[in-house]
Formats: sequence, structure tokens, C-alpha cells
Amino acid sequence: MKEVKRKEFYVFSPFLRVFHWIMVVSIVVLFCTGVIIATPLQSVNLEPTYSVTYMDLVRDIHFVVAFIFAASFILRVYGFVINKGDRLFPHFWKGYFYRQTIEVALHYMFLKYEHSSFLRNPLARASYAMLYVLVAVEFITGFAMYFLANPDSIWGGISAWIIMVCGGEMMAHLIHHYVAWGIILFAIGHLYMVIRAEFMEGESEVSAMFSGYKFLIHNPKDATDSDLSGEKHLI
Amino acid sequence: MEKRESLWEKCLRKGISRRTFIKGCTGLCALMGVSVDRLAEVVEAAEAKPLPVVIWIHGHECTGCDESFIRSAAPLASDLVLSQIDLEYDHLLSAACGEPFEAHLKATMAANKGNYILAVEGATCTKDNGVYCMSGGHTFSSLLKEAAAGAMAVIAYGTCAAYGGIQAAKPNPTGSSGIGAFCGATPVVNVPGCPPIPEVMTGVVMHVALFGSLPPLDGEGRPKQFYGNRIHDTCYRRPFFDAAMFADSYDDAGAKAGWCLYKLGCRGPETYNSCGNIRWFEGLSYPIQSGAACIGCANANFWDDGVGSFSERLPKYGKLGNADKIGTAVGAAAVVGVAAHAAASVVQKGKREAIEAAESGKKESR
Ligand code: SF4
Repeated sequence: MKEVKRKEFYVFSPFLRVFHWIMVVSIVVLFCTGVIIATPLQSVNLEPTYSVTYMDLVRDIHFVVAFIFAASFILRVYGFVINKGDRLFPHFWKGYFYRQTIEVALHYMFLKYEHSSFLRNPLARASYAMLYVLVAVEFITGFAMYFLANPDSIWGGISAWIIMVCGGEMMAHLIHHYVAWGIILFAIGHLYMVIRAEFMEGESEVSAMFSGYKFLIHNPKDATDSDLSGEKHLI
Repeated sequence: MEKRESLWEKCLRKGISRRTFIKGCTGLCALMGVSVDRLAEVVEAAEAKPLPVVIWIHGHECTGCDESFIRSAAPLASDLVLSQIDLEYDHLLSAACGEPFEAHLKATMAANKGNYILAVEGATCTKDNGVYCMSGGHTFSSLLKEAAAGAMAVIAYGTCAAYGGIQAAKPNPTGSSGIGAFCGATPVVNVPGCPPIPEVMTGVVMHVALFGSLPPLDGEGRPKQFYGNRIHDTCYRRPFFDAAMFADSYDDAGAKAGWCLYKLGCRGPETYNSCGNIRWFEGLSYPIQSGAACIGCANANFWDDGVGSFSERLPKYGKLGNADKIGTAVGAAAVVGVAAHAAASVVQKGKREAIEAAESGKKESR
């Protein structure tokens, strides 16, 4: 094995890391329970007296996890405020964003042997921004449907407006369902990309979500997006 | 025009006792969905307020709402029409017709400007200046505009008047739409349903007539006391839903046993109406009770609600199946794609390292 020198970059605050893993668990649970709610499995109980109210349970799990997921955004926001590395936006407004995106895309299409080093490459940044949009749609449609169980409440009033924008409550259900599939497709791609980056390119994509640190060979092009970049830890 | 009587004056004239009158007022509280705490208000209004004039016009529709209305059991529609409101003009129920009838409409509107209640059934037609729906030689939309401008309040009866109804279904050749946009500044109560429940229809008109104000409305302009619950949350089959006991088709054992109709596309979970608690025709039944899944007839766009079939929960795309099937297939394809990409990446990495090794080899030998 040849020896490689790596530099250490502090990217993710603990708040973001904890949020990330809450999000992972929430999405898995929400997706599974959601699919069951849309297409319930027939109960095996044929005798009402002894049946378990499992649909009720599944719905409750779905709602509770949705609230936990929503609440965990507090961590995300706090990390965003205190740590520069939690603010890896896609720089849509800069020309270099598009040049770098093309470069990365060419590499993923096997037309280039490698792409320049990044703390987070622009393609990934754009896809994560996209994920937040999908999650926002899920929150908006989901809570609108939830709160309309009592249209009299303040939240019910706001929700009525959201349902109108969706074009009816059934439509809100469909949007909620379709976007959920979108998130799962994202997750497949995301999982592959981070594993590939970690184990093939040595870009510590997976480990950074545990430790907060990335260890990179080259100086990343977006190194200024992280607070503490350390020449000090040379490995 | 002669002075119009109040409900109490009418009772006096007919020799109805005070006791019966008060009992009637208590009954009215229940019908209008207001608390009996407000009995005093109801009595006061019934003593003092002259019976309100109601003008009832019909646009693009099937008159099913009227059919529903005349089946109201409490109050009996005949009581309501004959003694509790002053129904001056109704396309369907009036015996008169022709020019004198239209002249009467004009006279009524002029004499009661700002004081009459306008009940509207049916959608307006907006395409080609509204020529696809004519009434008394004028377009319905012009009649509606004129009548709404002089009304104290407008009641939009039925999903047609509230949201456009069946004739607004794609491709909507006549440009039918709800009446809201034609009512100017006059307040509108939406009473959707195809048709609305009879007692809801009479309850709403009684509320406006007695109090001279609209009942409390929700975000979509529907009276909260009747549209404040999902059918799913008041459905007597809900325990079967919670226990996941579903009918899979209309002729299986589950359907026979009266299990939940969710899998047959029941729209109860998306629909706000009183079918579950008031039910229909003196509490006799309602669609789900008679074994048919709810189609959400009180919802805007229930005719094109995105699913394309009343008996499905998710739209089907031909042979591809529904979103879950497609999603699973695309997901599986993504996994295969990812695996292929991974394999190709390994190959590419191998090549890259070979080139790098060759280059560094060259450097060293130099
Ligand atoms: S029959 Fe319809 S409204 Fe009743 S519980 Fe089942 S899904 Fe809900």
C-alpha cells in the first residue's frame, strides 16, 4: 500500500450529524408506514372481537415520527447558524458552479478519469437542496392533511389553503405519495454515491457523517466553505 | 307590498300556542346546528324578524339539489317553504311561468333590495358569454349577477354552484364554474354535495333567515357545523378500518360483512360532510351504509380528483399499474443501474491507476 498524505477538514457539526441520522430513520419509517396506509395489508383477524387495530397503530407511528422529524430540524438550523461547514449550498448564482457540475457529471459518465476535489461537489450540493425541497413538500402536504382532521383550528385554516393550492384533498394525498417515491429514489442514488466516494475515491463521505471530519488528499476547491481546515493533522 | 309577518305573528294568526312556538324554536336550534344556549336569540328573531324573502334560481345542473331539499324531514320542506321562509321565485317549485313570472322576479328584487336571500343551484356557464345556459331569455350569468348584487346573502347549493360540478369535468365544453366570482361583494355560503343533505340545506337557509347573518364558515366558505368533520372520522365502519378489515371487491365476504370500503376507493378520508352523523332521509342511511364507497361528492373537483376512478386509491397508468408498482420497478432499475455503475467505476479506477503508475514509472526512469 502506498502512503498518502491527507489533510483534515472539519465539516459537519454534531447537530447536523444527529439530524442526519434522525432523518434517515424517519424517512425509512415514514415510507414504510406510508405505503401501508395507502395500500393496507388485510388483517389476518377475521373475528372483529379479537382483531388488533393495527391500521390505527401504523397511522399513529406515521404521525409521531413525522413530528419527531419536523422537530429535529431545530438541530439542523442550529448547526446551520453556528458552523460554516453545515452551510454547503449549491452556488447557483456563480458561473463556476455550472462548470464544476459539468466536470463532475463527465466523471460520473466515465468520460473523465477523475474530478477535482471538493468538500462537497456541486452535483451533490444540488441534489441535497433538491431533497430538502421534496421533504418540504411532504411536510406541507402531510401536515395539511393531518391538521384538517379539525378544520376549526388555526392550523386547519392554513391547511385549507394548502389543499386548495394542491387542487383538492385527494390530490394532496397523491402528491404526498409520489414525492415519497421521489425521496426513496434519491436515497438509492445517495447511498451508492457516498459509498462509492468513501471506498473508491477515499473521500470520507460516509465516515464524515459520523466523525464530522473529512480527510482529503488534494486541497478541495471549496475549502473556504469549512471553518477549520487543518494542515496540522497530517496523516 | 303588504307588511310581511314574523314567525310569531304567523303563529298568533293561526292560533298556535306560545308553548308550541317555543318548542318549534328549540327544534330550530338543533336544525341549524347552534347550541340551545342561543334559544333566546332564536326566539327573539322569530318574534321580530319578518319572514325573509328567498329567490331560488337554477343554472347548469340536474335539479337534484331540489329533489333533496323537498325530502327534508325536519323541518319538513313544505313547512319551510309555506310558513318559515317567503319563497317568492323558484324555477323548479313555482307553479307560475312565462312573462308574469319573470316580471314578479323583477318586482320582488326591486322591492326587497338588500334584504332577500338568493339561493343558487347549479354552475354558471362562462364560455361564449354564457350562451349555453339561458333563463327567461337572458344568460344565467347575467341573471345571477343582477340577483346577487341586490341580495343580502347568497347560498350556493350543491357542488355545481359551489365548484362547477359535473359539467365542469374535463374538457368542460361550456366553461362551467362555481358562482363565487359572480357574486361581487355579497357574502356567499357554500353548501356543497351532490346533492347536499336535505337537513343541511334547510338548516343553512333557516340560519340566514333567522339571524340575518351567515353561519360560521370554514376556509372554503362552508358552514362549519355541517362540514367540520371528515366522513372517515364519523363513519360507523371506522373500527373496521382501524382493524384493517377491508372489502376487496363489492361481492366478497368483507363487503357482505360490512367492512371498511377503503380499498374500493372510498373517499371518506378526504371528504367533509355530515353523512356520517346526520345521514340521509331521517337518518335512514348514507352511501357507505348502503354498501357503496363514498365518491367525495362534496369535494371541489371530485369529478376529476386525480385518481381517474372512483374505485381506486391510486391512479393506474395502463399496463404499468399504479405509482407503487412503477416506483418499485424504477427503484429496482435504479439499484441495477447503480450496480452497473459501480462495476464500471472499478474498471475505470483500475485504468487510471495503471496510467498513473506508468507515468510515475517514466519519471523514475528518467
Ligand atoms: S368506509 Fe370509507 S369513510 Fe368509512 S371507515 Fe372505511 S374508508 Fe373511512
